Amino acid sequence: MAQLTFVGKPIPKKDAPGKVAGEAAYIQDLKVPGMLYGRILYSAYPHAKIVRLDTTKAEKLPGVKAVLTGSTIPPFKFGVYKDNPPLKTGKVCSLRDEIAAVAAVSPEVAQDALGLIEVEYEELPALFDPIEAMKEGALLIHEEHKTNVLKMPWKLIVGDLDAAKKEAAHIVEDTFRTQWVTHCCLGASGCIASFDINNNLTMYSNTQIPYLAQKDFMEALGTFGLKNKKVRIIQSVIGGGFGSKLDTYAYEYLAILLALKTRKPVKILFSREEEFFATSPRQCTITKISHGCTKEGKLLFREMEMILDNGAYTSWGATTPSVMMLPISSLYKVPNVKYTAKCVYTNNTYSQAMRGYGNPQATFAIECSLDQLAEKAGIDPYEFRFMNANEPGETTPQNFKITSCGVKECMEAVKTRLGWTGKRMQKEGRGFGMAALVHVGGGARVYKSDGCGTIIKIDDYGKVDVFTGSSEIGQGSETIVAQIVAEVLGVPIDDINVINNDTDVCPWDVGVHASRTTFVAGNSALGAAQKLREQILDLAAATLNEDPSALDLKGSVIFSKNDKEKKIALGKILRSAHYAPGGKMLVAEYFYDPPNENFDKEFKGNLSVAYAYGAHGVEVEVDKETGQVKIIKYVAAHDVGKAINPMLLEGQIYGGGVMGLGYALSENMVYQNGKIMNPNFLDYKLLTAKDIPPIEAVIIETDEKNGPFGAKGIGEPGLVPTAPAIANAIYDAVGVRIKDLPITPEKVLKALKEKEKR
Amino acid sequence: MKREMMFKLNGEAVNVEVESAWTLLYLLREILELTGTKLGCGYGECGACTVIMDGQAVNACLVPVLEAEGKNVTTIEGLVQPDGQLHPLQRTFIDHGAVQCGFCTPGMIMSAKALLDENQSPTDEEIKESIAGNLCRCTGYVKIIEAVKAASGR
Amino acid sequence: MLHYDYHKPDSLKEALGLMAQYKDEAVFIAGGTDVMVQIEQRKLKPRALISLRNVVDLKRNEDTTIGAGVTLRELQKNPMIQEHFSALHDAACNLGSIQIRNVATIGGNICTAAPSADTACPLLVLDAKALLVSATGEREVDIDEFFVGPGKTVLRKGEILKEFKIRRFTENTGSVYIKHTRRAAMDLPIVGIAVRITLNRNDVKCRDALCALEPISKIMGYFEDEELKCEDARIAMGVVAPRPIRARHAEAALKGKVLSEKLIAEVSEIAVSEASPRDSVRGEAWYRSEMVKVLVKRGIMKAIERIVRPGEVVYPERLW
Repeated sequence: MAQLTFVGKPIPKKDAPGKVAGEAAYIQDLKVPGMLYGRILYSAYPHAKIVRLDTTKAEKLPGVKAVLTGSTIPPFKFGVYKDNPPLKTGKVCSLRDEIAAVAAVSPEVAQDALGLIEVEYEELPALFDPIEAMKEGALLIHEEHKTNVLKMPWKLIVGDLDAAKKEAAHIVEDTFRTQWVTHCCLGASGCIASFDINNNLTMYSNTQIPYLAQKDFMEALGTFGLKNKKVRIIQSVIGGGFGSKLDTYAYEYLAILLALKTRKPVKILFSREEEFFATSPRQCTITKISHGCTKEGKLLFREMEMILDNGAYTSWGATTPSVMMLPISSLYKVPNVKYTAKCVYTNNTYSQAMRGYGNPQATFAIECSLDQLAEKAGIDPYEFRFMNANEPGETTPQNFKITSCGVKECMEAVKTRLGWTGKRMQKEGRGFGMAALVHVGGGARVYKSDGCGTIIKIDDYGKVDVFTGSSEIGQGSETIVAQIVAEVLGVPIDDINVINNDTDVCPWDVGVHASRTTFVAGNSALGAAQKLREQILDLAAATLNEDPSALDLKGSVIFSKNDKEKKIALGKILRSAHYAPGGKMLVAEYFYDPPNENFDKEFKGNLSVAYAYGAHGVEVEVDKETGQVKIIKYVAAHDVGKAINPMLLEGQIYGGGVMGLGYALSENMVYQNGKIMNPNFLDYKLLTAKDIPPIEAVIIETDEKNGPFGAKGIGEPGLVPTAPAIANAIYDAVGVRIKDLPITPEKVLKALKEKEKR
Repeated sequence: MKREMMFKLNGEAVNVEVESAWTLLYLLREILELTGTKLGCGYGECGACTVIMDGQAVNACLVPVLEAEGKNVTTIEGLVQPDGQLHPLQRTFIDHGAVQCGFCTPGMIMSAKALLDENQSPTDEEIKESIAGNLCRCTGYVKIIEAVKAASGR
Repeated sequence: MLHYDYHKPDSLKEALGLMAQYKDEAVFIAGGTDVMVQIEQRKLKPRALISLRNVVDLKRNEDTTIGAGVTLRELQKNPMIQEHFSALHDAACNLGSIQIRNVATIGGNICTAAPSADTACPLLVLDAKALLVSATGEREVDIDEFFVGPGKTVLRKGEILKEFKIRRFTENTGSVYIKHTRRAAMDLPIVGIAVRITLNRNDVKCRDALCALEPISKIMGYFEDEELKCEDARIAMGVVAPRPIRARHAEAALKGKVLSEKLIAEVSEIAVSEASPRDSVRGEAWYRSEMVKVLVKRGIMKAIERIVRPGEVVYPERLW
């Protein structure tokens, strides 16, 4: 590969100066002239009939401009399953059920108005346990649905499981559980809905999916009697996403309805408590898993049955089994696989995808179970994994085509850096654990299109505006896109301006999910930049009297590779084209939709055009008296294809790793009868700067042929194998296996005491 | 109860009418429109609203506005020189990749500044202690700690 | 919408006068880290707040007097506190965050009277006396009598906690506060244990063994050999009862005895029997009991260690 100027370099984030200066405007910071403030009244019961709802007093409160209830808005349901009305009528199914909304001149007045709304409920028995909810004769959360099990029959079968079971020399079987956890974006959810005189809607939003949201809102407007109206999404700077903003939510529809009613812009902003109880977290899962291998340790089969708590309504959380299938069928070479998953309605909050899209839940079960199998087979867990590891060129049983794959290199790096061979089994109370991961790294075709568009224009001075569909949610997409364009166009990175927050000017993109942005938006930017480069070189070729193929472009100068004297400044050639008779200004566009496949009816197909691999390893020390786990060393090795920006990439690994540590050890939404008992940062334990252990990030480059400059996605993988690596290390240290997350000192101590008794 | 209040904000004397039930954060964000200081929780549990008052890092969401009377308050906006030049901490946060979504960043920088103002060569432990009250969901803190170290005398 | 008056008196007299004016319907506010949260949560709707931040009478921080208005950060930075009242120093280093400690006061922490109040256990083992002042006079109460229940104290209406008196202990005294948490910062204790031990002498021959941090069992062996006796002991426990409590039976079991591993194990079991922890979101009762057992033992050891060599601050155990 030619010498690269910008790609592969630790270029600071382009949006960082505005953020460190306090200039960056988040949704919290935006005001629109004439704006009103909306607040939402939530249900007081997890399951109840609404007997009476009286808003008279609230309407009379000075400063209140509108009060909405379910009966005063057009009938409409949103969500993945279209099962969720923005305001509930008749009955409520969870404590986050919205039953009324107020717009007022200030948030305080709106809040006071909520207190004046009179509601009488008739409490109904409720279901909080998905296993109870699945039972025959269980009460129905949604009567019209006839059952509490969602009609999404996730089922994957490859090979011959029965034969494999007969063949297996060693079989392990166990059940693993994961907890509810939430995204905890520091910038909470919010939006401003504003209609112009022609009833076209502008939404200021911190969504991760501007174009899908645009479509959702257009459909909603249709049912509100505003057909064929235009919806424009303008994204504020986004204070964290992690999957929380992958869907449209009741509060957004309520802002729209309130704006429509009052003819004023309406802002709804979540409090921290609302962010905890009224957004959609990663669901809890119960996974029964069985693994078998030959005497020599070759994996023969994997069988998994999973139950997911869907909560009362349906968002993308219910579709996470699709991505779970990737590790289930294709993490390690496993020829026979059976997987079924059921998403079950309960009266809990409803679930959403969160960083990893189901992968952390699945990988926890897989990698813990694998350790159990290695032990049963009497093989070192590292050797066992290495022996069964994936390799490039493989087509997995689910028809994933593995192009690049550096999982073995990742495992070796972990082993070496931890000192696995020399130090393991040496010290009482200390232990080593490892877990690997596979994730989509080249887009993921979960929607009809997995595409992203880019438009590039260049001005008279060689300054470049890049209009990309991809959104910046902190992960650095803006900078990655700029680096790629700067590389191709040979202009300084500071001359690249990335516009990525306005559906009126930017081309379509399916959204920030599936670790797809570097890969898909990167390829899209690459395509557009190459088209623009060709145009520039064509212009210069005529002026310099040289073949375009002999020209190169660097430092904003076009020059001949053959004759150093033949050169011209980029701005000069652009101006001469612009100001010539019949003048021309250069613009290029490119839409990249990766050649990946939607699953077929058997849930098979090449979901992504590249797969990201990694392995994490950890050394822990367990305090046998308190059950506390101390992390001595943590190594996170990731096959990223190519690091477009090593500094930002490390940021994803560290950030993901620490989020994974929280998932493993401290984070837990404690629900009691459908109510979250710890809706605040004091009791929902995000790790602090004082908690983080030394983490070593190892970057393995495998040059993915389908990726922009060889890159694959890295947004999510950092947290996928953390919990099982730690669980495995604890087992190695003190011989107790914790099978439900988070691994609290209580659980470790309890297990140690039980072990003593035996 | 409305009251006139004088205080020094980012080096300038400010005279402003306040309501006694406001917090300092409300005054900064909603009245003076200095929105660089963020509201992350409102309970002093996340540190996004950290400002420096008379040399000490405080959660502006917990400071009754009248406690700022006569005090010297510095917000993230006050770290930028009039010519637009950034404070060394702002610089190192950029250069070391310490910023992702950026919502915690202003508070984080103010906590770090309060530390460096009284201790020019802090240990890693002291750096961690200084920002332990500032939650970050994106970075895992590693690069933030690097950035503070780089801005210190070490 | 929220409305309240806000007053910033300079003296105790003025503060008490204001409270009288509001017929006791105002609320005193010190650092505000509890009061402002309660107001934000609408759990508290005061007519007026009377700020104690400028009240100089509350600011004494000298020798054996700690004013109620002294911030946790001031305690943290005070070498005198670290040397003589190490348990209190441990607490001051580990409460909340620096932003919280910069404003939160020891008086506020005590008057909020949470079972988890970090400074409560240290003050209990240090035999602190609280001086309460009202318009009509002042009274001194033992800190152990100050707490009544969760959020409840002996403070009467129109009374302010002015300061704590703590006597200087002899050289052969050491104290410690161990805060058992989930996180290394920004956390409340699952259990908090403070211990003060006074030995019969401080010419401990096994000093070197302690300094070298030899295994506990070995050090205990030296103690027994040297017939080292516990002259006086205090053990206080947080989050195991409606209020921070002393483990009096455990203390009694230590007093006058030769220190041994067996004795300390017995004492920690006695402490467990004196605790009545509950299940909550923050921790399970059985685990709290277990931690009382472990931490009382560790606390006694640490307190002894501090007699023979100035110890570093005790931080919560953490993930690395």
